[in-house]
Amino acid sequence: MATSAPPYPVAGGDGALRPNVATAGRRLPAVRDYEQVTREITGVLRPTVAWFFGLGIAMAFMFAGATAWMYQIHEGLGVAGYHPPVMWAVYIVSFVFWVGIGHAGTLISAILYLFRAGFRTTIYRCAEVMTVFAVMTAGLFPVLHLGRPWKFFWLIPYPHWRWIWPQFKSPLVWDVFAILTYLTVSATFLYIGLLPDLAVLRDHERNPIRKKIFATLSLGWRNSDREWRHFARAYLFLAALATPLVLSVHSVVSFDFAMANTPGWHATIFPPYFVAGAIFSGMGMVFTILIPLRKWFGFKHYVTLNDLDAGAKLCLFTSMVVGCAYLTEFYIGWYSGNRIEHEFWWNRVFGQWWWAAWIMLICNVVLPLSLFSQKLRRNTTWLFILSLFINLGMWFERFVIIVPSLSHEFEPWQWAGYQATWVDIAILCGSFGWFFMWFLLFVKQLPILAISEVKEIVPPKRRPPPVMAPRPAVGAAGGGDD
Amino acid sequence: MRGVLGTFREVDATVDAIKALKRQPSTNVTVYSPAPDHAIAEAIDAPTSVVRRFALIGGLCGMTFGYWIPIYISKWWPLVVGGKPVPSWVPYTIISFELMVLIGALSTVAGLFIVARLPDLRLTVGYDARFSDGEYGVWVECLPEQAKAVTETLRRTGAVEVRNEP
Repeated sequence: MATSAPPYPVAGGDGALRPNVATAGRRLPAVRDYEQVTREITGVLRPTVAWFFGLGIAMAFMFAGATAWMYQIHEGLGVAGYHPPVMWAVYIVSFVFWVGIGHAGTLISAILYLFRAGFRTTIYRCAEVMTVFAVMTAGLFPVLHLGRPWKFFWLIPYPHWRWIWPQFKSPLVWDVFAILTYLTVSATFLYIGLLPDLAVLRDHERNPIRKKIFATLSLGWRNSDREWRHFARAYLFLAALATPLVLSVHSVVSFDFAMANTPGWHATIFPPYFVAGAIFSGMGMVFTILIPLRKWFGFKHYVTLNDLDAGAKLCLFTSMVVGCAYLTEFYIGWYSGNRIEHEFWWNRVFGQWWWAAWIMLICNVVLPLSLFSQKLRRNTTWLFILSLFINLGMWFERFVIIVPSLSHEFEPWQWAGYQATWVDIAILCGSFGWFFMWFLLFVKQLPILAISEVKEIVPPKRRPPPVMAPRPAVGAAGGGDD
Repeated sequence: MRGVLGTFREVDATVDAIKALKRQPSTNVTVYSPAPDHAIAEAIDAPTSVVRRFALIGGLCGMTFGYWIPIYISKWWPLVVGGKPVPSWVPYTIISFELMVLIGALSTVAGLFIVARLPDLRLTVGYDARFSDGEYGVWVECLPEQAKAVTETLRRTGAVEVRNEP
């Protein structure tokens, strides 16, 4: 929530434009007034046939994944293709992938808010919703990965009659704290930002049951000066708390690998490398979701090409950071002078796993270089296609980190391969179904653009300027030069 | 709760009304606006929100708790490795940081609810659904004998509708 209104002459003042810090001078020329914002954003909340069709597909994928999981519980983790030494594969790859997807939402809603980046205003709600559902999806995978998933709560430190506690020096316990904190704070941030919009829905709803639901969810929000004053401050502090959290969560996830004495994992560059990759993949997913949404919902005058252009620049920057991290990793392997490291990196890029490494390099480093072209940054078709490649490339990045390292450790007798099974693939597809099911349910129940924040960048109505009497001509006043 | 509710279409008229009403004695003014607005906030001249104190206290409590729980647990079942101290502050800082953020954020929200008086589901007097759409409302809580002067002020400053409530 921006803390500042758009620039307009101060009432009764000297008519000078006020500095607009929070929205960085953002303008929506095609939006005339507040009523238009409310009408257009709440107008897309009616379910359509296409929406039901999309929801049906998402739920079908989800049920396919759930069925595969039930089969796995019955048969054991062996059906997922896990054999020593590769005991982490698609599930942990997908866990890291979905946590990464969740990072762009908080980056856009919190970090860009603190940096006063105006382009976030119309895209942050979509990214925030994506974050919450992506982290919910990520949280499934460590549980799916357990042989006895009903024991997952053993990771939480709770008083138990046997006084058995988790090991706090283990990165897996740090993960529990980091992911649960991230999910809670992201969901809280989303809900607090939604309060004024829920009040708008409450005031415009005609169905009495839905009106009562929105009235309860909005907690009786009335848009009063007291509420806005405290709200703006609370939002600022939530953003300030969420910002280091974004950086910490994927750093903690990277510790799962960096703390292990495994070639390809035991590196100090992992935390920044993972954070940059997470933001990059999250921006990719934002484009995947936002570009169709702005077309289907008719939001092209809210999510403008300038916004997509700015997002694409961020995407390009994080792609280059990720590319730099890849090169640094290769350099560390070469410069170490360690034969095992040399052998490992050669195997990763040109050996057993060359195909995965090159999918990663092409999708994450080569193709995003196209974003140096302004023409392509403003081409929504290309941005959408590129975002799909980025999603693919970032999934494979995590695959390349996890599977080649485990399958090619220090001793040659340990070396092995890994082949994903139909159970792995079904659960991976099921996770996409789960994610899109929640997202589709959200977009038809609650506003996908932040109504009150968009209103902040629309100039408010002002009194018409007073009509000035025409000045008499100089000659008529008798002021000649004779 | 009795008072007068004025509805405005323009933000500058609303600001003028607030300034005029603040010059009148014994009136309690509440302003409703579809979006937060600096000009309105300056005209009201309310003190800075105290939500930040909740964030600070919550964050400190979370940090303390985040160090306490792993230290307590390590000492409950001490595993001495290499003669090093059982509590290890480096990994425990991660837990402490996460709990600082978690409890700090939840305290901030609790602080918002307390100081903004939420939840309050009674939308009875002094509110109109138009205030969440595009219009501004100025609700003046006042004694019946002050209502006439308040009504006059609201009309003079540009209110499109003025009504006594309840």
